[in-house]
Amino acid sequence: MFWRFVLSAVKYRRRRLLLAFSGLAVAATLATTLLSVYSDIDRKMRHEFRGYGANLIVAPAPNSQTVPLASVVEAERLGAVAAPFIYAVGRIADERVVVAGVDFRRAAPLTSYWHVEGSRAAADSECLAGSALAAHFHVSIGQSVRLATGPCIVRGIVSTGGPEDDRLMVPFARAAADAGFRDTASLVEVRADGPGKIAGRSRIEEVRAALAAATPGAVVRVRYAVAETEANVVLKVKSAVFSLALVIFGITTLCVTGNFSALVIERSKEIGLLKAIGAAESKIASLFLSESLVLALASALTGYVLGLAIAYGIGRKIFSDAAVGVDFGVFMPVMAVTVLVAVIATLLAASRIWRIEPAMILRGE
Amino acid sequence: MFLRFVGQSIRRAPRRKAMAIGAVALGSAVATAMLGAMLDIGDRVNRELRSLGANLLVTPKSTSLPVVIGGIRYQPAAKDEFIPVASVPKVKSIFWSLNITAVAPALHAQTAINGRDVPVDGVWFRRDLHAADGTNIQTGLRTLNSTWKVDGRWIDDGAPDDRSAECMLGAALARRLGIQAGSTLNLFGETFKVAGILSTGGEEEDRAYVRLEVLERLTGRAGQVDAIEVGALTKPEDAFARKDPAKMQRAEYDRWYCTPYVSSIAHQIEEVLPMAVARPIRRVADNEGQVLNKVRGLMLLIALAALATAALTVWSVMATTVLERRYEIAIMQATGAGRAMIATLLGAEVAIQGTLGGLIGALVGAQLSGAVSQSVFGVHGEAPALLVPVVVMVATAVALAGAAQPLRNALALEPAVILREGI
Repeated sequence: MFWRFVLSAVKYRRRRLLLAFSGLAVAATLATTLLSVYSDIDRKMRHEFRGYGANLIVAPAPNSQTVPLASVVEAERLGAVAAPFIYAVGRIADERVVVAGVDFRRAAPLTSYWHVEGSRAAADSECLAGSALAAHFHVSIGQSVRLATGPCIVRGIVSTGGPEDDRLMVPFARAAADAGFRDTASLVEVRADGPGKIAGRSRIEEVRAALAAATPGAVVRVRYAVAETEANVVLKVKSAVFSLALVIFGITTLCVTGNFSALVIERSKEIGLLKAIGAAESKIASLFLSESLVLALASALTGYVLGLAIAYGIGRKIFSDAAVGVDFGVFMPVMAVTVLVAVIATLLAASRIWRIEPAMILRGE
Repeated sequence: MFLRFVGQSIRRAPRRKAMAIGAVALGSAVATAMLGAMLDIGDRVNRELRSLGANLLVTPKSTSLPVVIGGIRYQPAAKDEFIPVASVPKVKSIFWSLNITAVAPALHAQTAINGRDVPVDGVWFRRDLHAADGTNIQTGLRTLNSTWKVDGRWIDDGAPDDRSAECMLGAALARRLGIQAGSTLNLFGETFKVAGILSTGGEEEDRAYVRLEVLERLTGRAGQVDAIEVGALTKPEDAFARKDPAKMQRAEYDRWYCTPYVSSIAHQIEEVLPMAVARPIRRVADNEGQVLNKVRGLMLLIALAALATAALTVWSVMATTVLERRYEIAIMQATGAGRAMIATLLGAEVAIQGTLGGLIGALVGAQLSGAVSQSVFGVHGEAPALLVPVVVMVATAVALAGAAQPLRNALALEPAVILREGI
């Protein structure tokens, strides 16, 4: 009897319920979208910060000029990206220039901000020229630079606005041989990404501590400008999304409450009749509650599907390919939020049932 | 009669009207809060990103190639290549001067300590800069690099003093020399007291810093600087920004010049400092744009989702209010009111509810977006004033649009049918 009542209500008041349903479905859609975006925003935003390059620098210890290459291996073992660099003074014709030894394969993810014309990497007897250096010596791609230790063919012109513009970039092995570095580098750049394994401790700090312990002959420094700005911006964007989500949820709840109140008001006559023939208020309220729970389940499903589609769209449209993806795990929270919104809205609306006087209603007032 | 009808209708059923107005207000509040926050967050994040340090480097035009590793010059610079310190404030006189947040001039030198060359920079730590347009900013190394940590204290160089005997050391240098904040150190044959030790993570940690005018005196290069680091708020570069300005048409060039791209700001700095070249520091400038674009896009899409919801809410509520009054409409039709008459009557009511709700919502929403800005960025953000009238207008339009379809349906039905069925 109870369920027949509920189901008939759904069947015969389709238009009315459609409004309540769409209100709840919109709430569920927004909940899915926001939760899905929110749960993943850390990873997505941090991905965008990769372009800033290294956030850790392994530099020579006070009494030394070089860093052991073992630190690169150690950093890679820790899951970080690391690349060694050598800086030395070389000669082109009679002029002194800075020659940088770059492990092009390892350095690629750390030097994505280089504007390069031509190739981004150089093989054995090749090199890349900084834009100012290329202009100074009038060399272009494909031409040979007469470096004192043996000529090299320019494969690309690098422009960064930084010191690289004035330098000649040669493969790491060649710079090491020319400048007499044995299993050492001038410095090692490291990028550690992602959240820390231990809560409350950042990944950067973990990698820094591990690297410092493993390479006593070097000093490991955090590049504060990159590390802190990244942490700061990610945190702020995250909390902005969170506050906006709260605002949206609050307002959707109010809106759904309005819809349900209208449902109750409209059916005052029926409620009065039910009360007149002896139904308890709590029984009538539970009728409304089950009606809205049925609605909530249906709208949570609809909203979940729609919301995931929107979240996927946001990921596709805004973030880089590697960061696309939705979080299917938000279903339970979405269900919980939708049911909660529906229950709160129904209870607020159902409080009217107790105030309805059967006699007044039935008389037509 | 018309006004009396509308007025009575609102006065006689206040609760129902209040609900409709409340719904419109809620919708408009979400819309305003989202739009306000969306417009605001881009700017705020742009300012946050400025803590990455300079995004433009101004150096003298040079015929030779600098041979510098870690601040040490391996070949002396030409004597006549410098930027006069008197020209530094000109950076704040360009078209986009308000977007320049920090200017830090530096003079480079090196001196031997314990037989090893150490780079010494003469800088502004934090100095008042009076710009040509009358604005006054505090600027220097300290404002440009807000993430640097100092053990001890920063040098206070608010007033110029070329006899000051204070310096700051990078952490790596201090460790090598075994010096702490508060000890003394010999630079260029004079004794300096170490005010603070700087930790930055970069190659600045191998340097010593003194006041600009002190280094000018010690090196005999009065009134000269070797570089100016500039922090500017810029618009992310797009395809248009990457065009070569020399090949642009007049109108294109004007548009490029009047947009705060990092390249157009560099161009404007070169205009006021003809002896210098200004280069965007790609590592900072490019990625800044990248991150900013993502944040803006994210906020825009969330705002769009919320706006759609708000519009849907207002639409459905207005549709309901008309649905509820089909009986009334039928009676009016039965007693001889024309369709146009009824449509105007109900339209006026809906418009009043829409405007009133929109106004309340826009005002509340502006406060909400301010509160979000306050809680996230700690700065009280103001939603732009223009947002309020726009939201009110849109709310009214959406309300009318929502009411239109059910009204047309009600008018199309025979009044007798509605009255008999009591729908």
